[in-house]
Amino acid sequence: MEKIKEALDFSDFSKAEKIGFIIFSIFLLIFPWIGAGSFVKAVMIQFLLFSLFGMGWNTIGGYGGQVELGKAQYVGIGAYTVALMMLWWKVPFWVSMPIGALIAIGYSFIIGYPLFRLKGHYFAIATICTSLVLQDIFTNWKLVGAAKGVELPIHDHPDFLYMQFKSDTYYYYFIMALFYIAVFYMNWFRKSKLGYQLRMIKDDEDAAESLGIDIRWCKIKAYSIASAFVAVGGGFMAVYNLYIDPQSVMDLDLSIKIALMAMLGGAASLWGPIIGAAFLVPLDRFLGSWLGGHKGLIGLDFMIYAMMIMIVSAYQPRGIWGIIEQFRKKR
Amino acid sequence: MAFLEIINVMKDFGGLVANNNISFMIEQGEIIGLIGPNGAGKTTLFNCIVGYHKPSSGKIIFKGKDITGFKPFQTNVEGIGRTFQIMKVTAGMTVLENVMVGAFCRIDDRHTSRKEASQILDFLGIASVKDYYLNELPIASQRKVGLARALATKPELLMLDEVASGLNQRETEEIVGLLRRINKEEKVTLFLIEHIMEMVMSVSQRVIVLDAGEKIAEGLPGEIVKNPEVIKAYLGEKYAKGH
Repeated sequence: MEKIKEALDFSDFSKAEKIGFIIFSIFLLIFPWIGAGSFVKAVMIQFLLFSLFGMGWNTIGGYGGQVELGKAQYVGIGAYTVALMMLWWKVPFWVSMPIGALIAIGYSFIIGYPLFRLKGHYFAIATICTSLVLQDIFTNWKLVGAAKGVELPIHDHPDFLYMQFKSDTYYYYFIMALFYIAVFYMNWFRKSKLGYQLRMIKDDEDAAESLGIDIRWCKIKAYSIASAFVAVGGGFMAVYNLYIDPQSVMDLDLSIKIALMAMLGGAASLWGPIIGAAFLVPLDRFLGSWLGGHKGLIGLDFMIYAMMIMIVSAYQPRGIWGIIEQFRKKR
Repeated sequence: MAFLEIINVMKDFGGLVANNNISFMIEQGEIIGLIGPNGAGKTTLFNCIVGYHKPSSGKIIFKGKDITGFKPFQTNVEGIGRTFQIMKVTAGMTVLENVMVGAFCRIDDRHTSRKEASQILDFLGIASVKDYYLNELPIASQRKVGLARALATKPELLMLDEVASGLNQRETEEIVGLLRRINKEEKVTLFLIEHIMEMVMSVSQRVIVLDAGEKIAEGLPGEIVKNPEVIKAYLGEKYAKGH
């Protein structure tokens, strides 16, 4: 009960933030009814999904300060669990999604234990490697479809149990619900004991250790929380796209996007990953479809993307949210 | 039973012997000073006790329990707190949050830990800067924050690594006053490394002297300043003979 109260307690935010969040929430709620096209709707779903990923990454990468670049492996674990269980045993989404999250947690403990012996850049490299290894295994593993991937059995009529709908609106509301669970969870998390301890670890590991914090265990806990978040998002990707392959759910590109969105928006803040996703997902999609079609302009979207990241990280390492806070302090 | 017992502790870093066969005891409630010239192995000994280094041989017994080779967070759970000579000052957390993290080692609840942290800040007289970030504070206040967050873990033995270095006369006196109060009111045993002789001689009840990794003297401050071995270590052979 106490935890739920904490999660719903936004009292330490400024008035502007609270109003902004309410307006944003109303917009999210009525969005499917304002007559946006299916492309815009798809972008919105993508935005909510990546916000979810980013908020998960924020636990270990933002509050814990560990540059983690292997989140795609957990997207893959979540997506493959849902897809394969549905294909093989007809297990409903609502059962397989939590199982996927549990597998991700278990896997993250096994991977995290040796991984957190490493620090800084070495840790970042190691996370990339573990993700690439898992991708390679799945690309060559015949049983799980190898490089061809897995196609989910399509039902003739909409089925709530298997999360198959005709309209994107249902998917939209489902991912929006997940998004809000994540926001409330993160609101609790940043005020929790683990949240404080992680911030201390980020600031000064030696001091953190002298204050009775088991650094490695704290990091592993945060890492597994992040993994569970991401695996849930992965499960959603499977039912939403109805088709997954190692390239689409386990690629390095995805890991980097997750980390970059959170960092660009502002790591270690509640709104950061959401802002980051709000910037980069539309940019990625619109520029990709607009410029990608023109001959000779292929790749220009990536350059704009990269420029933005360079500018923000040079100007304010705490991302867009850091810039906003800076302006607010000056006034 | 001694409170803290160091038995034949040896630490070598691949040939360089930083601590050689050091033994001594500390009783509960004492204020002990650890002095020695640069490179005498004071900080290494501290790190061995707290757990940042594992002694190559020897034993460390705290309250009758063998804590040799414990990790820093484990020794903290046993009741040993420490401060750092050089604190990393970042803009990541405010003073209050720093101290709260210390309190979190015993408390799970945010509100209780905030209350305890505020009490400790009041006790040390830095409640007025609680919402500042560490990098915005002068060095004397930073030291007090380090002290506050170590105290927040409610240690029975507090190890202080050069709390007064870089402070002026007045600030040093203030810290000495605080240390005496911590010792008397909070019943915390203090073990301090110090370079400033005046301070260590005035505050400690007993002094241990290290030189080149070995313990060369132990005794009351008055005896230590007259000890020829100590004078030799600090000032050289010539002065020791002249005494």
